Amino acid sequence: MADATGGITDLAWISALYALGHKAANGANPRQVQQEILEHIVRGFDAESGSIALIVQGTDDQLEIAAGTDLPRGTIGNQLPRGIGVFGHVVATGQPILVNGDAAETGLPVRTNEARNRSTHSAMCWPLRVQERTIGALAVNRAADRPRYTVTDLDQGQALTSLLALVISNHQMHVERDNRIVELQTLNATMQRMNASLEDAQNQVIQAEKLASIGQISAGVAHEINNPVAFVLSNLGSLESYAAQICELLSAYVDAERALSPLPPAFLRARTLRESKDFDFLRGDIVALLAESRDGLMRVKRIVQDLRDFSRGGADETWQMVDLHAALDSTLNIVRNEIKYKASIVKSYGELPEIECLPSRLNQVFLNLLVNAGHAIDAHGTITVSTGISGTEAWIRFSDTGCGIPSDHLNRIFEPFFTTKPVGQGTGLGLSVSYAIVRKHGGRIEVDSELGRGTRFTVLLPVRQSPDVAIEVVKAHAAAT
Amino acid sequence: MSNLLIVDDEPNVLNALRRLCQNSAILPALPDPSVTTFTSPLAALKHVADHKVDLVISDYRMPDMDGAVFLTRVKELRPDAARIILSACTDMDGIIRAINHAGIFRFVSKPWSDHDLKASIIDVLAHRNLLLENRRLADEVRSQRGVISRQQLELERLEMESPGITQVRWSEDGGVLLQD
Repeated sequence: MADATGGITDLAWISALYALGHKAANGANPRQVQQEILEHIVRGFDAESGSIALIVQGTDDQLEIAAGTDLPRGTIGNQLPRGIGVFGHVVATGQPILVNGDAAETGLPVRTNEARNRSTHSAMCWPLRVQERTIGALAVNRAADRPRYTVTDLDQGQALTSLLALVISNHQMHVERDNRIVELQTLNATMQRMNASLEDAQNQVIQAEKLASIGQISAGVAHEINNPVAFVLSNLGSLESYAAQICELLSAYVDAERALSPLPPAFLRARTLRESKDFDFLRGDIVALLAESRDGLMRVKRIVQDLRDFSRGGADETWQMVDLHAALDSTLNIVRNEIKYKASIVKSYGELPEIECLPSRLNQVFLNLLVNAGHAIDAHGTITVSTGISGTEAWIRFSDTGCGIPSDHLNRIFEPFFTTKPVGQGTGLGLSVSYAIVRKHGGRIEVDSELGRGTRFTVLLPVRQSPDVAIEVVKAHAAAT
Repeated sequence: MSNLLIVDDEPNVLNALRRLCQNSAILPALPDPSVTTFTSPLAALKHVADHKVDLVISDYRMPDMDGAVFLTRVKELRPDAARIILSACTDMDGIIRAINHAGIFRFVSKPWSDHDLKASIIDVLAHRNLLLENRRLADEVRSQRGVISRQQLELERLEMESPGITQVRWSEDGGVLLQD
């Protein structure tokens, strides 16, 4: 490797250095590779020890020990004071130096430990430069009993260090690239998360917007429907009374006809006609016809009324004393259509005092729970709505005989956008909105589910928003019932 | 005989109400009702200006003017005519204005119940008659005590019978304008 004078001639040594460079480029541990390179160089220069200091990336001249032989433990990674010492000088000037004898005598701003411990050595230090940029410095030392380095050694080493600088710089770039990739991946993941939460927020806004416009539309639609319903309903009433009068008139004719004997020809024709048209059936059916039509219209009227009560949410959110049974009935009217083919509804109402609440919001809660119950039922089942009072709380329980909720879903069902329904069927908002509404009332929702058997949602609400008043009310209610 | 004026922008509603009011088979029966209907509140106001009207029933949401504004004008023209709003609209503002400004006697929501509506009409008319009777008696007492003259009393009676009869409208050339 090194000849007798310390010159470097061995090609094998150079190719080994290249091999180390490749190893570095392939992503091996940087510290380890730098250490191997240093040891290789120390051998090559027939030195006892050596060290490499590199400029910390992102700074101009902050040096950090990257590798070293014979260094005290824990030195690797230490930062060197800027601008002083042999390394500091070499990096600052960009010129290699040869130090024979006492470093302090070179006139360099030497660090005290350098001066004390290494006063008898022979050392060479080269800047590591890539193009015009200094990336660090390399030093090799010989002990005092060895031949000193010469200027020739320094010049020969100069050629090598540029190669070394390239290897290290390559490696640094490689590491930097890896870091960048990791950084980019993290950034990417963060952006994906942000994207997802943005999407959630957007969905929430869209949903809120949708609910608001449904409210507005249904209020307008209710008005539009009520007008025709009003006159059709009233006309049916008039028609009923006309029909009754006509039937009365016809009955009088029939009576007259019976009283006449023999029947004049004109009456004979009337009787044939009456019999062929089955007058008795017509007279009976006209009553049923009108009653059924009226029944249908009354249903339209009630649905519109419920729709209006329901949509009257948001706008006039005032706390009211409400009979929850009436609220439940009106909500049941709305959902009846959606669930009537899947479930029979059993009402088992207890005694409830009036509850201080936001009725339209509670209607929304009841609606969500009822629709969910309907969705949980596959073929045909039962939904039981029961109510009662316990302590100062009123409870409303919706029990279904549906598929139940798996236990690993139970703690997620109130999360916004958590849904197991197919796309388009559920937004995953129903329960989280319900939860928020009930919390606003100072109440809570309890869930109790058994796979394959069904689910029980219980909404618990304080009867009054102020606890003292609630106690009074419950006492009075208990006394009254 | 009671003179009913009904205003709604939907002719079907007017027809239904006319049938309902005139059909004495649907109880309670109105006492000898004469029903006049308008789809336009402006046309209705023209009619009110020079016809005898006992009760005005108006929709709330109409083109040109809403029910509260319309009935306020009616009240200015005919303070003695009773006023009812019959509407599918239930906005609080409108109801408040109808009560405070137009001084309505009833607010009936659409769709109405035939029986309830007719009962309301009878109630309102009875209430109005009571008010008028009250005033007539009070006037009579005042006249007997000499506070107002018999002539003034007669004028009031005539004006009530035939609105506008006590006011003579003059044309620019000094001629008397007769009602068309």
